[in-house]
Amino acid sequence: MSGTAELERELVRVGRRLAAAFPSSSHQPLRALDERAMQMASADRELRAALFRFVDVVPACRSLDDLARHLVSYLEQVPETPPPLAAAMRISATRAGRAALGAAAAGGVRHLAHRFIVGETPEAALGTLSRLWEDGIGTSVDLLGEATVTEAEADRYAARCAGALQRLAAATPGWPPRPVLEQDPHGPLPRTNVCVKVSALTPLLRPDAPRRGQLDAAARLRPLLRVARDAGAHLHIDMESLDTREAVLELVLGLLAEEEFGAGPSAGVVVQAYLRDSPAQLERILEWARAGRRSTPLTVRLVKGAYWDHELVQARQHGWEVPVFEHRRDCDRNFEALTRALLAAFPDVRVAVASHNLRSVAHAIAANRLSGAPDSALELQVLRGLGDDLGRALASEGHRVRSYCPVGDMVSGMAYLVRRLLENTSNDSFLFARAHGAPLDELLKAP
Amino acid sequence: MTAAPPPPTLQGFANEPVLELRRASVRSSLGPALESLDAALPVRVPVSVGADARTGGGARLQSSDPGAPGRVVAVAEIASVDDVDAAVAEAARGAPAWSRLAPERRAQALISAAAWMRARRLELAALEVRECAKPWREADADVCEAIDYLEYYARGAIALGRGRELLQVPGERNELHYAPRGVVGVISPWNFPLAIPCGMTAAALAVGNTVVLKPAEQSPGLGQRLRDALLAGGVPPAAISLAPGAAETGAALVAHPGVRAIAFTGSLAVGRRIIAQAAQAAPGQRHFKPVIAELGGKNCVIVAADADLDEAIPAIVASAFGYAGQKCSAAARVLVCEPIAPQLLERLAGAVHALAIGQAQELDTDVPPVIEREAMERVGRYAAEAAARGRIAAQAQPPDGEGWLCPATLATDLPDGSPVLEDEIFGPLLAVQSVRDVEAACDAVDGLSYALTGGLFSRDPATVSRVRARTPVGNLYVNRAITGAMVGRQPFGGNRLSGTGLKAGGPDYLLQFVEQRAVCENTMRHGLEV
Ligand SMILES: Cc1cc2nc3c(=O)[nH]c(=O)nc-3n(C[C@H](O)[C@H](O)[C@H](O)COP(=O)(O)OP(=O)(O)OC[C@H]3O[C@@H](n4cnc5c(N)ncnc54)[C@H](O)[C@@H]3O)c2cc1C
Repeated sequence: MSGTAELERELVRVGRRLAAAFPSSSHQPLRALDERAMQMASADRELRAALFRFVDVVPACRSLDDLARHLVSYLEQVPETPPPLAAAMRISATRAGRAALGAAAAGGVRHLAHRFIVGETPEAALGTLSRLWEDGIGTSVDLLGEATVTEAEADRYAARCAGALQRLAAATPGWPPRPVLEQDPHGPLPRTNVCVKVSALTPLLRPDAPRRGQLDAAARLRPLLRVARDAGAHLHIDMESLDTREAVLELVLGLLAEEEFGAGPSAGVVVQAYLRDSPAQLERILEWARAGRRSTPLTVRLVKGAYWDHELVQARQHGWEVPVFEHRRDCDRNFEALTRALLAAFPDVRVAVASHNLRSVAHAIAANRLSGAPDSALELQVLRGLGDDLGRALASEGHRVRSYCPVGDMVSGMAYLVRRLLENTSNDSFLFARAHGAPLDELLKAP
Repeated sequence: MTAAPPPPTLQGFANEPVLELRRASVRSSLGPALESLDAALPVRVPVSVGADARTGGGARLQSSDPGAPGRVVAVAEIASVDDVDAAVAEAARGAPAWSRLAPERRAQALISAAAWMRARRLELAALEVRECAKPWREADADVCEAIDYLEYYARGAIALGRGRELLQVPGERNELHYAPRGVVGVISPWNFPLAIPCGMTAAALAVGNTVVLKPAEQSPGLGQRLRDALLAGGVPPAAISLAPGAAETGAALVAHPGVRAIAFTGSLAVGRRIIAQAAQAAPGQRHFKPVIAELGGKNCVIVAADADLDEAIPAIVASAFGYAGQKCSAAARVLVCEPIAPQLLERLAGAVHALAIGQAQELDTDVPPVIEREAMERVGRYAAEAAARGRIAAQAQPPDGEGWLCPATLATDLPDGSPVLEDEIFGPLLAVQSVRDVEAACDAVDGLSYALTGGLFSRDPATVSRVRARTPVGNLYVNRAITGAMVGRQPFGGNRLSGTGLKAGGPDYLLQFVEQRAVCENTMRHGLEV
């Protein structure tokens, strides 16, 4: 039997087991309500735009009246408003009606936000984080923030990250042992895991002139790496749009190679498979890792990429070659190729595959097994609110899972929330296909 | 740099893609381009009358690097009144032949000129870096815009050459066609030193006029390169004469009875003088002399209470301080609604404070030197006025070093009627005012004599449509920066005292460079339709 056929067979087996292990959503009536709203939104482009624009503006509204007026203003642009919303528009004619509508709408958005954002502060998030841990799911805390446009904002963000590292590192030793989450073939894994965004660490990151922003960000990232090292925590540097990729990667690999970080902290970077040149990027990272300057291996999180529409539009507006794949299947195929390349790089890097796509995840698990490695050599990551079911299924099958948990207030969380909602309702997304009842065999088919 | 895209055909127009400077491989091509330019400086700029070039024998002017005033970038002969006379005469002689060509032939020459520029993108951008202290990204965008004008007007002229449809009834044949005016005088500024002269010149040439170009005295080198491009593309020398010089040369061109139209971009003060002078017919002059003028602005950005400040602040900073505020489209005032005024001011102040003032050739620079000493002093006077009558909310200081470097200033708490709120400062100074609501902001915009560009940040479609209906400005930008109009996408130009012209880079611009001729022919003879 050829390697590919064997891989496909194992993959289908893994996929079926995972699908069978998905919790039934009937136990979560509130979630079902959200799902209905999402379904209504994904059925109609204009309506989806109206609702998401509303979600986006909620924290900026000054009063219930203001909220209601915005909602109606968006809905007026939808050619055919579904009956429940048409009713909402009618009641907005009076002040009392607007207050009621505003309150209901704000409540809905707050509810939605809570599904994706675990708390306003690390303190407030601790309950959820430890409950996940007890259920066999590790976490990575992401501090949401507004865009950084001033030095003071960069300082505040860095202080929040340092505070989160310290606060979590103080709490996590009290958690019960969870061997699957604490050990892999490379050695022990930190319980405390925090993500940072370089663009939030400096107001000076200019795509055309990375140097100044890198220097400024380094002055804040270096102390954070020290805090993480001293706290025994993992620090993961998220990847953003292509505008900053060069700057981020160069900065992070440069800092991690500094002597003082030779023995820690555990740290990671991200590769985005939707970028056509991602194989070369991965090769560059692996080459760096092979040079073996550090005793803790670098973690590489493989994702598809969260800025697809932005990259496409920006390139089209400027007449540039589009840097991302334009067909879902090309992106998925590349994701699988990069998964295999990462697994083959053992033991130079730790591999984390972050996807909600059952096929992509099952492929990673199967490929890892066929390479002869134990399941513990592979970490799987999901987003809080989007990948909860998959996360639970993975955990119940004995895999190491980490849930990416955003922490922050409503104002700073909206950009994140809207992105996730778009992802959830885009008909190019796996979650959308699954929610619309695509048969399992279809979902597991090779891209 | 990646391989150049194939030259566009006559069919579709597409904007010339700007350099993808976020890629290190592209950035690394800039330094060598500047080095090879430096080795070739200064550019010699003769007075070019048709095929004749006069070097020597008269007064000269020099352009210098605003970042290193000791560096001479171009040395130009100043066109005297006699030179202007000769240039206009030559242009008049060249006009019949050029105008008789099929529009497609003229278009081909302009498109070939665009190809010449395309092959020299970096060299031309480097000259902008040196002669006008345009930072690379903006210098490159200016070269692209010049290419766009050539390509766009070439196509537009072909379409115009087909005339317009008229109502036809039995027994007559009706036609509307467009004829060139004759000799057009083009007087251009230094702030878009290739694109603006190129746009005005290309429009005039495309529809069959001939041109005498007087480039800004601060950027004659780029004026010369424009002429080089047009000649290389196949425009005959008689159709494009170059008359370098300052106010006197410009005045001679405006006053010349042989000039049939003036295309001018520059300040309101000079624009007014040109319009007045052009209205005075010389003895024996048998035509009115229209002036197509693009003048100043005092551009306001309205920030509604529901604006997304994460987007608004970077966009405002880019609009106000890009190229040190030396764009007619630049943001000069922010009108922010009270509820978010403190927050906006604090964040904007922090963002201004973080700006890097420095040399144009450094990619790290946010705010380059201003064009000349006089400009630096003028901006300083307005900043002092703002400090005296209002408050400086933030200022980014220039490093020590040579060049006409100005601080970047954010002012607030200015009294109504302050010159800081009304005059076009044309430098890195932005004023913020808090207003009660969007209506009050619209009132403030309505109170200005200028009406060029404007901005609005709001997430409410109702607010957007209210402002759209009320604003007098020529170009309104919603939830984005207010500079950077693209040819064919954002036709550009102002109302009120901001200009007399139809929008540059838009479908109607060429109409200003032609005369309309309607012909009606009787097709009935003795009951027979011929
Ligand atoms: C734990 C975790 C961490 C993450 N961290 C990051 C990060 O640091 N940086 C980042 O950018 N993203 C990050 N993401 C988001 C990720 O990039 C994806 O947006 C998201 O996971 C959806 O991909 P999927 O594989 O789950 O779903 P799928 O439905 O399989 O794939 C959807 C993805 O495919 C791509 N796509 C959609 N349409 C097309 C098309 N027409 N052609 C080509 N490709 C297309 C897009 O990337 C889209 O997000 C993270 C995700 C997780 C779970």
